[in-house]
Amino acid sequence: MSQHQINLTINGRPHCSTVEGRLTLSDFLRGDAGYTGVHVGCEHGVCGACTVIVDGNAVRSCLMLAVQADGSKITTVEGLAADDGTLHPVQQAMKDECALQCGFCTPGIVMTLTALTNCANKPSGDTLVQAMSGHICRCTGYQGIKRAAMKLGGDAA
Amino acid sequence: MKPAPFDYLAPSSIAEACQLLSEAGGGATILAGGQTLMPLLALRMSQPFILIDITRIAALKGVTRNAGITRIGPILRQNEAIADPTLAQAQPLIVTATRHVGHHQTRNRGTIGGSIALGEPAAELPATSVALGASLELTSTRGTRRIAAEEFYFGPYATALEPDELLTGIHVPEWQSGTVWMFREISQRPGDFGLVGLTGALTVKDGRIERAGIAWFGMGPTPIKARQVEAALLGQSINTLDPRALAELAIADTAPFDDHHASAEYRRTVGKRVFASALSETLNLRAAA
Amino acid sequence: MSATETPAAPGVYIGQRVPRKEDARLLTGKGVYVDDVSVAGMLHVAFHRSPIARGNIKSIDLSVAKQLPGVHAVLIAADLARYKVDMLSFFLAAPVVPVPVLAIDCVRYVGDPIAIIIAEDRYIAEDAAGLITVVYDEEDPVVTMDEAKTGALVHPQTDSNIAAATGTEDPDEELEALLNNAPHLETVEFKHQRIAQSPMETRGVVSAPQGAEELTIYLSCQGPQLNARWFAQAFGMPQTSIRVISKDVGGSFGLKGQPWREEVATVLASMLLKRPLKWIEDRLENLTSACQAREQEIKLRAAFDKEGNLIASHAEYSINNGAYPQGADSNIAVMMFIWGAHKLPKFDFYSRGWFTNTVGLSAYRGPWAIESLTREVLLDRAARKLGIDAVELRKRTLLRREDQPCTTNMGLELEDISPAECLDVLLTKVDVTAFRIEQAEARKQGRYLGLGIATYIEPTAGSTGIAVLISESAHIRIEPTGKISAVVSTHSQGHGTQTTMAQVVAETLGVKFDDVSIHEDDSSRGGYGSGAYGSRQAVAGGGACIGAAKLLVDKIKKAAAHLLNTTPENISMREGIITVSGDKPQSVTLRDLADIAYGEPERLPEGMEAGLEVQFRYRPPPITMTSAAHACIVEVDADTGFVKIKRWVSSEDCGVMINPSVVEGQIAGGLAQGIGSVLMEQVSFDARGNPTAVTYKDYMLPTIFDVPTFEYNHDASMPSKADGGFRGVGEGGCIVGPPTLVNAIADALAPFGEIKLEFPMTPTRLLAHIEGRPEIAEHAKPVVAPVPEPTVATTPTVAPVQNVFSPSAPQEQIAAPAAVQIDGNWKFVLSTPLGPQAFTGRMSTDGNNLTGVFIMNMDEAHFTGTFKGNHLVWDLKVTKPMKITLKYEAHIDGDKLLGKCKMGIFGTAKLVGERIP
Repeated sequence: MSQHQINLTINGRPHCSTVEGRLTLSDFLRGDAGYTGVHVGCEHGVCGACTVIVDGNAVRSCLMLAVQADGSKITTVEGLAADDGTLHPVQQAMKDECALQCGFCTPGIVMTLTALTNCANKPSGDTLVQAMSGHICRCTGYQGIKRAAMKLGGDAA
Repeated sequence: MKPAPFDYLAPSSIAEACQLLSEAGGGATILAGGQTLMPLLALRMSQPFILIDITRIAALKGVTRNAGITRIGPILRQNEAIADPTLAQAQPLIVTATRHVGHHQTRNRGTIGGSIALGEPAAELPATSVALGASLELTSTRGTRRIAAEEFYFGPYATALEPDELLTGIHVPEWQSGTVWMFREISQRPGDFGLVGLTGALTVKDGRIERAGIAWFGMGPTPIKARQVEAALLGQSINTLDPRALAELAIADTAPFDDHHASAEYRRTVGKRVFASALSETLNLRAAA
Repeated sequence: MSATETPAAPGVYIGQRVPRKEDARLLTGKGVYVDDVSVAGMLHVAFHRSPIARGNIKSIDLSVAKQLPGVHAVLIAADLARYKVDMLSFFLAAPVVPVPVLAIDCVRYVGDPIAIIIAEDRYIAEDAAGLITVVYDEEDPVVTMDEAKTGALVHPQTDSNIAAATGTEDPDEELEALLNNAPHLETVEFKHQRIAQSPMETRGVVSAPQGAEELTIYLSCQGPQLNARWFAQAFGMPQTSIRVISKDVGGSFGLKGQPWREEVATVLASMLLKRPLKWIEDRLENLTSACQAREQEIKLRAAFDKEGNLIASHAEYSINNGAYPQGADSNIAVMMFIWGAHKLPKFDFYSRGWFTNTVGLSAYRGPWAIESLTREVLLDRAARKLGIDAVELRKRTLLRREDQPCTTNMGLELEDISPAECLDVLLTKVDVTAFRIEQAEARKQGRYLGLGIATYIEPTAGSTGIAVLISESAHIRIEPTGKISAVVSTHSQGHGTQTTMAQVVAETLGVKFDDVSIHEDDSSRGGYGSGAYGSRQAVAGGGACIGAAKLLVDKIKKAAAHLLNTTPENISMREGIITVSGDKPQSVTLRDLADIAYGEPERLPEGMEAGLEVQFRYRPPPITMTSAAHACIVEVDADTGFVKIKRWVSSEDCGVMINPSVVEGQIAGGLAQGIGSVLMEQVSFDARGNPTAVTYKDYMLPTIFDVPTFEYNHDASMPSKADGGFRGVGEGGCIVGPPTLVNAIADALAPFGEIKLEFPMTPTRLLAHIEGRPEIAEHAKPVVAPVPEPTVATTPTVAPVQNVFSPSAPQEQIAAPAAVQIDGNWKFVLSTPLGPQAFTGRMSTDGNNLTGVFIMNMDEAHFTGTFKGNHLVWDLKVTKPMKITLKYEAHIDGDKLLGKCKMGIFGTAKLVGERIP
């Protein structure tokens, strides 16, 4: 049962911690680092609620070990809105389109859309909707999520 | 759903990794992208003593071309493969197949080698490597050997990879110009493993099929090379070929079974249709070109 | 409903698509779900669970697990036995069979919790769970309802595997004659698969003892008030000493209505260890050990005349209750609503719930939904056979607004249902004629399009019969700052009640929406209410907010009029500004008034209480009906059996909408779940009772590609009779979604014959139908061992062991008449559809006449009857939950009484009595 020191940046802040080899990144972010906006819905990589951005890419944090994140830059849903509370454009689009109900799957969806819309090549609404295949929402029937994705891609819903 | 305890090791060279594997005497598991392994660890269906993370080994990255062979480093992430200009040119079928692997988020972590080495019979990349005639480079402290992808798979998650061996390279022959590609996957939801999957390449020269490589996924305990229909296609004129007439032969090598998601009969019936429509569409495209 | 009534015009806030207050918190990761709660000194819990479905525990070895570093305790049932806990059903009634917190002596389903492990973290707790060794004497499990009917008893102390029954098995000769002699008899018979509710947040609890007498329980639940009441009653503690906090909840859908075994075990262990404990259910546990729903079978027969009018109908129904249901249920609501909106002269039914060795039954969004699925499929099939258009058949059989008020033959009093009117609106949006042309053209090209239509009525905000679902409360306070806070007994698991209740309060008070905050997360604040249950929050919670706000408005007007030297009629309030109308306009702010009300109460009118705060409890009408008609168009790929939903249109009468976006969100979410249940979701077991879909790879939930864009029409909406005119919409989508989709698939595939009703309708099954092949064989069932013949020759009167309860055959031996002592005090237990009801009573005799009284909840019910020997017969008239005459029949044997009670449409219940001093 190995222990490892890891150094990483979370939402712009450097973070240093000692972790057990088997600790998942999602448990590390929620527990040791205190970013409880990372939601754990299935722990086997299907639901997508735990999605965070690691070095620019949207990944499932339950399918990564904390130790693997050593040296990386991580953004969680807590790292998006401005200090004055102004929502990130993805969060605002989700709000405007009523894309959430219980809010449990929401952080993961926000992080995927954020990672993709941060790319140099602006993705189409369709591309964003395709990436939603990796997120399960049990409340909304995806109506608002689809509209938000299309809007962020510059397409009419 | 928390993994059982293990020692995590992240070697920086192939030699170091092989040394660790050798010393572990079968108690170690390789961690690449982790998109299949991590759920197995969380469910405690896999409980290794040692987890060897190979993603920090620089020598396992990259795509190179040499003498008609594309060599893919196994830890190439699936989304990197999709965006890779060399692969797009040399191995378009690999790129197409990779687009169907999992979801955007899992492709950001999942690797080409991980999928190929694992041997899920309903996965896209093992079948595609079989169809294209790829060979796999396996390295251990005992040395390096090459094995044809077609001979690598024994059963679900059962492969020729010895406990002390590491997949260090995927060698995919480059099919000559005039090759057309087929890829079809029937899955219940996008990102699910295929209920029925077909992947393959046909080289057409002077209106006749000169070379054929076709494989199925989700149609048996391993990826399955459609040898009989490959043989039947050779030399045929694309203008007179009747894809429907070959459909029965196309599934002759398969051995699908009933599972939670589909029946064997479903897989056979749809497999025939998938083959016929994929072949006619592919040849029509070829004829139109 | 008169034709002159018109839909209410939207208000300043009510009826507006106001953005949700919850969203900023939830979108930025600042929500507080139970797993986000940490308490100093908190330890973590995992369970060791049974890997077999049925067996006796021979031994448990905890020694290795206890020695693992980081493990604080490993406890089994015997360790928790020092606390007396009465596990309760959702109705706060004793369960039909006792539910152990942890398994005692035997296990009854795969996943049955045996030991609770408390450790420093969940990783270590799971390590320890794997180090526990339990030796079993394994038995063959009773997995399916078919097995329950003939197999061994799931609970040996019961006399059959019937957990609950309503209706009667005895055929009604008159009804049978009507059915069999009718011009057309249509029969639909099918099994519905089991469903896992699958909220994205699993169950979870953090239990923090506060000294020896109090508990703070953070709980993922559907209502902190109801759950606090449940804990208080189950633990025998004062409710005020148990504080349930539930800030944000990641969906429930019926699963989290009440605490269950794991939550209770965690709370008890925290009391025993005097440490805060956290248990967060993981998804594997959720898909194997959390209660589930919907495993049912139904046979519905309906007779029609040649014109398509209904003559008579009969339903036979069974539902799998598992081993420990959260309230043994034969689902009377299925029968109440199966023809609740239709003109049907005669109906009868027989319903049973069955115990099996599977995880227990709990609610799932629209628990009775199979009624709509069955009826709407039957109507479409009958239409095809009668040669009547399916829409026309519905028009002929549905009740319209002008047919009401009326009472259905199930005793349902209807005032304002409108599925027919919703259908009218729907048909203005969906051009059926044009579709039929398109469909015919498509078929020529080998493309199979189908149109499905279904209607339903949804009972919402019930306030009769079920003691825990009567009324909701609102406490509103104008703070001295002029801001308004309301504590409401609603509870959002995504419903957005912090927004909708604020809209109602702001509208009624005349203040700014932004100035209103709603609090519903803490049982120690505000009054009792059930939270989210039975689509009640808009109607019951909204009504409570209106009532409380009106009381406040009254006080504000009186106080302001007094201060401003005018009369209350001249006072109005808008956006928190109190204005005097008339020739000398003046205004004061609500804050100014609040300052005076709290700080200088002597300036208020004589006798007025200081402060600006009120509480109000609202009991809505007995039932508020929501109606709808839906249509969808599908294309079924005849090569692959895949279903593509191309269009989906809804038309509802959802009353006055507080927030149309929230209403549509509820409809959409329910429809998505309905689509999932038709096309892909399925909990299944192998022959040994092992669950076979234990991850989200195998339990398939609909994705963004499986759910179409929904079109909504609210044009048929009329205000309800409830205060505010609201109607509930929580469950309807999940009720009407399945029949709409199934009818569309059936229509598409009609050229291949009637589809088999096998759920889910996977590509494999649909393609088999298209190809005319038999479906894949179901898993082989073990042969049930024949019941051994009784071997004791000296007791020939003992009937063979028989599992099927047969009301027509008396099960007890009737002793010869003797001097029977009837007079005196008795205690009784009546097994009703709401669970066992215990009460006491007195009986006395005079000649052959019997008089008596039952005493329950400080209420007396007197009856008279007759007796002959030890055979007693009496009638008792009751008014709750509806007017009904209960017909009792009993035998007395010494100090024991055994009998039955015929409860009209609710069927027959067992009565057990015992003489008391």
